[in-house]
Amino acid sequence: MKKTKAMLLASLFLVTAILVSACGSGNNNAGSVTTGNTNQPSEAGGAASEEQVELRVMWWGDQTRADITTAMLKKFEEKHPNIKVIPEFSPFDGYFDKLNTQLASGTAPDLFTLGSNILEYATRDVLLDITPYVGNEVDTSKISPQLINVNTFDGKLRGISIGANSTAILANTALFEKAGLPLPTKEWTWDDFIKINEQIAATGKDIYGSYDYSGEMDQFGVYLTQRDKMIYNEPEKKLGFEAADVAEWFTLWEGMRKAGSIVTPELQISADPDDTSMSLVAKGQVAMQFIPTNQFADFQKMSQDKLTLIPVPMGPNGSMISVQSSQNIVGYANTKHPKEVAMLMDFWVNDPDAAKILGNNRGVPVSSEMRAVLKAEASETDKVVYDYLDIVAVDDVDLLYNVPGSNEFKQELLKASQNVAFGRMDIAKAADDFYAQGQKILQANLSATTN
Amino acid sequence: MDSVTGVATQTIVKPKRRRALKRNLTGYLFLLPWLIGFFCMAIGPILASLYLSFTNYNMLKAPAWIGMQNFTEMFTGDATFTHSLKLTFQYVFLSVPLRLVFALAVAIILNKGLKLLGLYRTVYYIPSLLGGSVAIAVVWKKIFSGDGLFNRFLEIFHINAPDWVANPSYIIYSIVALSVWQFGSSMVIFLAGLKQIPGEIYEAAAVDGVSRTRQFLRITLPLLSPVILFNLVMNMISSFQVFTSGYIIGDGHGGPIDSTMFYSLYLYLKGFSYFNMGYASAMAWVMLVIIGIFTAIVFASSKYWVYYGDGKDERS
Repeated sequence: MKKTKAMLLASLFLVTAILVSACGSGNNNAGSVTTGNTNQPSEAGGAASEEQVELRVMWWGDQTRADITTAMLKKFEEKHPNIKVIPEFSPFDGYFDKLNTQLASGTAPDLFTLGSNILEYATRDVLLDITPYVGNEVDTSKISPQLINVNTFDGKLRGISIGANSTAILANTALFEKAGLPLPTKEWTWDDFIKINEQIAATGKDIYGSYDYSGEMDQFGVYLTQRDKMIYNEPEKKLGFEAADVAEWFTLWEGMRKAGSIVTPELQISADPDDTSMSLVAKGQVAMQFIPTNQFADFQKMSQDKLTLIPVPMGPNGSMISVQSSQNIVGYANTKHPKEVAMLMDFWVNDPDAAKILGNNRGVPVSSEMRAVLKAEASETDKVVYDYLDIVAVDDVDLLYNVPGSNEFKQELLKASQNVAFGRMDIAKAADDFYAQGQKILQANLSATTN
Repeated sequence: MDSVTGVATQTIVKPKRRRALKRNLTGYLFLLPWLIGFFCMAIGPILASLYLSFTNYNMLKAPAWIGMQNFTEMFTGDATFTHSLKLTFQYVFLSVPLRLVFALAVAIILNKGLKLLGLYRTVYYIPSLLGGSVAIAVVWKKIFSGDGLFNRFLEIFHINAPDWVANPSYIIYSIVALSVWQFGSSMVIFLAGLKQIPGEIYEAAAVDGVSRTRQFLRITLPLLSPVILFNLVMNMISSFQVFTSGYIIGDGHGGPIDSTMFYSLYLYLKGFSYFNMGYASAMAWVMLVIIGIFTAIVFASSKYWVYYGDGKDERS
């Protein structure tokens, strides 16, 4: 009997220990970091005591961006001692999966960043309406009105742009020199692009002129706008192009692929151009790739060669590249502290200390005042970005919205282009298949949002 | 009851039952963590997903009931679904038999009584502990990419191998290889099973002049068949749910060209990337049914090839 009793006790202890350790392992937020600032007692002396407020802020990015954003948020805490900010950051991969799960479970942070997919979230009623706070907690007078329009839906302002940028071609000047070619100017065309790729690829065995963009929705979108078309016609809620346009686009790249002047399909997959550590342009093997201008400094850092930004080739309508909102800061519709959310947004884009800390990491500052502050102390690398933006800055910002279901849409285009690149499908069939799939995805997602 | 024997039997039975009860109690206490976990954390979401599979749920608005629509679309209108099923079957029917073959082969070799047996056993077992991790999958991807270690090694023998990661026709093989590399856990179980076969049987067979092959086919396999059944079922169930290796070694979206679009990965994309959680839930339940069917088939067939050695097999 004693033995059984001992066994019973032992198993009870074991069970309790396991349960306690399982419950005790706390941190549910992967990557959430507490700022470490203890709550400062509110100032006595006359002013009414302000309540202690906690704001959670989430964004995507790498370590550099995490460091500077956290520093900027600490600065905000210094100026508002009653507000404690809890930073949460994650890599881009999986950010939206995490955000969607949090929105579904009602545990979303008070503020978070979105890209051009802000339309999808605005239509699902999960974003805070900032309009009541404009002019009071948030000053938008110095922000280009076009950047405000982009974030206004049904007359309500749903987010503040936190970086203006543009699309450019990252060019490796060393490879251009080796081929004896001058850097392209703003007026160059897609035919020039094809010729230059051939000439550069001819200079060496594993040298290529450009990466393969046949499967990239953003670049296809630019190509369309240069021809009076677009990916998604938001007012009419339908696709703004035909299958024939897709076939034209695929043919453009297939020609270069056959000539060996662009990166091979396998290399395209294994040497991801969007990864600064893998980009063959940074490594000096490929001469050109597309990047958002705010990443220029990161690429230059990873390269031994001198890199620069050149404009995108022109189509019949010109290049149709202009300043866009690179990222937006939005508030959660169910936040408990909307006023403080607005205050933080204002600090983010209008405070000189914040502007100095954040620099160009998410793009050029949206406030004209802050741009002036930064340009005065800009480095050589940053000046390249400013100069490029001066070249392409047009007063009008094209209101290009992501097609509903853009994630799936992007994948289908990539798949179709890979079918062509690997020789599994001819261009006409791939284009038709993709177009049909694209329609299906659009319809499925349109009906989902109107549910 | 009053007779001496009556009282005696009662006093004998009671302690036996109390001991049995106490033994069961201990068992239940050890099960308690899992039971609590299941009833507090798993059963809720499981039932919720059953409900969600009949709805249209984009995670940002409330679920809307649509009845069987998800299921009908799956089986009639979704080419990617069919493809993901085919691909997953291809993976299962490649990796499970290969794994079992390697596991059995290495177990037989190790059973010969090598020195350092413990060391070899550990070395072969470690991959099955770590292999399912993201870190190993990342390393595997680097090793098998176009200019990775594996192809560089083959170049020594002047073999020009394809890109096992970036080429959609060959990527499945590097993923199968990763799975087969983790044969260690099955091997350890086979080893234990082999050790249970009395050596005298082999000696007797050798004396009778039975060849090694026939010894293997007629002694080893039948006596090992319960273990084979166990390993087969366990490996099959886990293989159907392949996700991490496909996600990491591919491009995270089932590519290139859906060559890594395994069933679980498609389910994940449908739910979390394409905002269609109702459809994803429906897919989860269909997977449950499919795995259930295959397991049932294996168990039904086991009547014909599994010998438990307890005399009941004489009827077959």
